Amino acid sequence: MGQEVIEDIRKDYVYDLIEQGKRADGRGFLDFRDITVERDLIKKADGSTRVQIGDTVVLVGVKVEPGAPFPDTPNKGVLMTNAELVPLASPEFESGPPGENSIELARVVDRGIRGSETIDLEKLCIEEGEKVWMVFIDIHTLDNDGNLVDAAALGAIMSLLNVTIPYEQYGLTGEDTLQIRDTPVAVTVVEIGGNLLVDPNVYEESAATSKLTVISNADGSISGLQKSGSSGLTEEKIVKMIEIGIEKAREIREKYLPKI
Amino acid sequence: MYKVVVPGDCISTEVNRAGEGTYVEDGNVYALKYGVVDDRGTIKVVALSGKYMPVNGDVVVGKIAEISFPYWIVDIASPYEARLHKSEFGRGEKIDFGNMCEYLDIDDLIVAKVMNVDVMMRIDLALKNEFKMDGVGRLIEVSPTKVPRIIGRSGSMIRLLKDKCNCFIFVAKNGRIWIKGSSADMDLASQTVMKIANEAHTSGLTDRIALFLDSFKSEKGEG
Amino acid sequence: MKEEKIELIKDGKRLSGRGFEELRPIKIDVGVLKRADGSCYFELGNNKALAAVYGPREMHPRHFQNAKMAVVKYRYNMAPFSVDDRKRPGPDRRSQEISMVSRKALDPVILRELYPKTAIEVYVEVLQSDAGTRTAGINAASVALADAGIPMKDLVSSVAIGKIDGEVVLDLDAKEDNFGEADMPVAMIARTNTITLLQMDGRLKKEEFERGLKIAMTGCRKIYELQRAALVEKYSKSGNEE
Repeated sequence: MGQEVIEDIRKDYVYDLIEQGKRADGRGFLDFRDITVERDLIKKADGSTRVQIGDTVVLVGVKVEPGAPFPDTPNKGVLMTNAELVPLASPEFESGPPGENSIELARVVDRGIRGSETIDLEKLCIEEGEKVWMVFIDIHTLDNDGNLVDAAALGAIMSLLNVTIPYEQYGLTGEDTLQIRDTPVAVTVVEIGGNLLVDPNVYEESAATSKLTVISNADGSISGLQKSGSSGLTEEKIVKMIEIGIEKAREIREKYLPKI
Repeated sequence: MYKVVVPGDCISTEVNRAGEGTYVEDGNVYALKYGVVDDRGTIKVVALSGKYMPVNGDVVVGKIAEISFPYWIVDIASPYEARLHKSEFGRGEKIDFGNMCEYLDIDDLIVAKVMNVDVMMRIDLALKNEFKMDGVGRLIEVSPTKVPRIIGRSGSMIRLLKDKCNCFIFVAKNGRIWIKGSSADMDLASQTVMKIANEAHTSGLTDRIALFLDSFKSEKGEG
Repeated sequence: MKEEKIELIKDGKRLSGRGFEELRPIKIDVGVLKRADGSCYFELGNNKALAAVYGPREMHPRHFQNAKMAVVKYRYNMAPFSVDDRKRPGPDRRSQEISMVSRKALDPVILRELYPKTAIEVYVEVLQSDAGTRTAGINAASVALADAGIPMKDLVSSVAIGKIDGEVVLDLDAKEDNFGEADMPVAMIARTNTITLLQMDGRLKKEEFERGLKIAMTGCRKIYELQRAALVEKYSKSGNEE
């Protein structure tokens, strides 16, 4: 077995600890687990990043290929984000068509990048109405120990920063570095027994009553929000969660992402 | 250091001594599992990972998964679910399908004994005297293959743990370990159990664990 | 896609500089995933494959249970970014066939009768592909099964041979596969020399097939040694950390 000891599964244990101001792995409520990133592992992708947060591992690959634009935006490139919660990554994931969780994961990451206008889609037009660059962000989960969204979003922006548009490969000419205009970072804040925590592991996720993913940009603006979980939140809690989200995103940005 | 073997490794020609985790073919004993060789007595391969397979007489920690009159269906960290009949509460009790959850509810943890495993892998449990765990203490889970090391030779390791960690520690055959004590003591006990599990394939473990616990205690004393 | 002919062998060497019976570099890591019961990362040249094993666990849906033995499920899947042209996510006919033959390559060594009514689930993700992914997947899966503590009589090892510029060679890379004349993946139980997977496409003379099979079997034995060493290494390493 990969891991020998699985700390208590029961929600009330996680809950009790948090009531005492503690987390099972000794972290503070606003501490992320260790983050490690490895870039360009996948030579077949135009940009790729393996992000590990604690024991959570996500591999994000970006591929850029020519294709037809959408009829209503004939002069804009296409951005597509897809996530696969492959059954390799967790005993809870199943084979089959994408379920609601993988769709949500892809859409939240997509929203952050789209909302921040990180990519200038007009620059990705090759021939108006005929041919544009299509940017595919594929999120492949490899090991789920919680907080896939933050890992996937970091992997997505880091991969985009390294993308070379394959003009030459397709016999075209143009500026081959993908221009990145912002660095959106997702931070998920959960509420457990009235306390707010960042970067929940899989047990904390299951003990959380609500969850808010905040995607924020270099200037501190917000470009994506997603509330999940079964309970409601008060206005004060939401404001607090957003403050935490923006602050933690700033720390991650300073450590892992270049200034734009 | 024990000898590590992988499936298909030839470990002996003494087919009469072939034991658990091995198979015999063409006059040789081969490893059936990835693990370490133990050739005291019979020749065994002790796996270091794998699921719990219930055997009559095992004491396990189970979790009520479902109520299906007249049985509670119990998760025992095995590929197979076990069942507990309502008569376990004594014939005097008036248990019907409406009030079963008052005796044991979904997610309750129990200590039980495996009474029977049939060919269809139906498993019947019986309650132990102190069966209810009532959310006191902490439950950790290790691979059931590590349980013998956590108990140690004639209980040497578990005695050491209980003494030095000042905790109540109950190790069930299915790898679930129930620890009760003060918060700091439980932390030390779980950390030590984890260490034993991680190093289950190494020799001289009891001595090393004793040293580890002593160093921890002295550190704490000085601090 | 066979495009214009290119020369795959120059001065008796392959484009990569490898000899005819030489494997690509191999890297094997055991127990790399936290959530899985057993796992293995396997690199073969530019191929990167990851295998996870779950189980034996309860079989869903129930009507797929076998009352006498465990059912082995095998899912081979390619990441969309693992190939030159982005692959549409999800199973297709190719991956379904590979899943099936890979499962059958492993079935003979697993003691399925010890776990009636359960499923033993094997998941292989190809993260980067460069010809030979099914063989990399089987090698990874075999190690991951052992790592999960599944009782099995042997490991299974796999490699392909092919024919390029009229020569029978071991372990084709993508270029050799695209422009070559034949490709033949083989899986084998090294101890007993039992073949558990054999496929071929292209065209081979009978003598070429026979020589190719011998070369593949020698290749499998080398891979077996590396699989075994990686498994032994896992427990030697953690013991020395103290």
